[in-house]
Amino acid sequence: MAMQHPSTLDRTFRALADGTRRSMIQALARGQARSAGELGRRFRSAQPTISKHLKVLERAQLVERTIEGRVHRFRLRPRPLREAGGWIARHQAFWEGAVAQLERLLSEVPRDERR
Amino acid sequence: MSADRSHVEVRRRFAVEPEEVFAAFAEPELVGRWLSPSPDIALSLLQFDFRVGGAYRFAYRLPEGRTVIVAGSYLSIVPPSRIVFSWIIEPPDEHAGIESEVTVTIARDRGGAELVIRHEKLARIDAIKRHAGGWRGALEQLAAMLAAAKGS
Repeated sequence: MAMQHPSTLDRTFRALADGTRRSMIQALARGQARSAGELGRRFRSAQPTISKHLKVLERAQLVERTIEGRVHRFRLRPRPLREAGGWIARHQAFWEGAVAQLERLLSEVPRDERR
Repeated sequence: MSADRSHVEVRRRFAVEPEEVFAAFAEPELVGRWLSPSPDIALSLLQFDFRVGGAYRFAYRLPEGRTVIVAGSYLSIVPPSRIVFSWIIEPPDEHAGIESEVTVTIARDRGGAELVIRHEKLARIDAIKRHAGGWRGALEQLAAMLAAAKGS
């Protein structure tokens, strides 16, 4: 797995804990960059609100900003999403594997060896 | 996985007494024989003090040679039905330092025992949950969508 500091992981989860921001990520998921204005029209929110959400996504490294003159464009960076999903999946796999091993152990240990 | 998606949960029924499942968590010689995700990952108990406030430290040796150390302490022990312990991966792991929590519940069930292991607070999710439920479902949706977009 790639390097990711826990605080980055926290920022990813926090950024995703908002419906508007999740919709923004969805709007960017097709891969092309969109300007703040385009995103604003789509969500019918005031521009400062849109800017605030974009800043949160940018800090979580979920979007990347490029500036061309006065136009700010945003593009999705999918890696933190994959890593956040991987962190949860890693624990699911750990416990599923452990419980399978426990099942083997409980069927092997003779009765008098157990309490 | 449960519908809630903000934690990890595993559930299994065993044809043994609850006391026997409890012992598998409480006795070091038994713990060392199963509490790892696969037979290829060897577990050594560096420290094991099974009492409330007592600490444990587990070393997992991965097949590629790397060792991951998990440590924590027992927050609650109610034999033979409930154990709660903290779970923290030590550096240099990429997810070191996140203080997560594991709750083990063992219930008598139709002459056997039902075990539920619930792993919570993965990335301080509890605080986040207050603001928006279901983010985990959204995350999966997004991951599926991203995979589809990549393929097109």
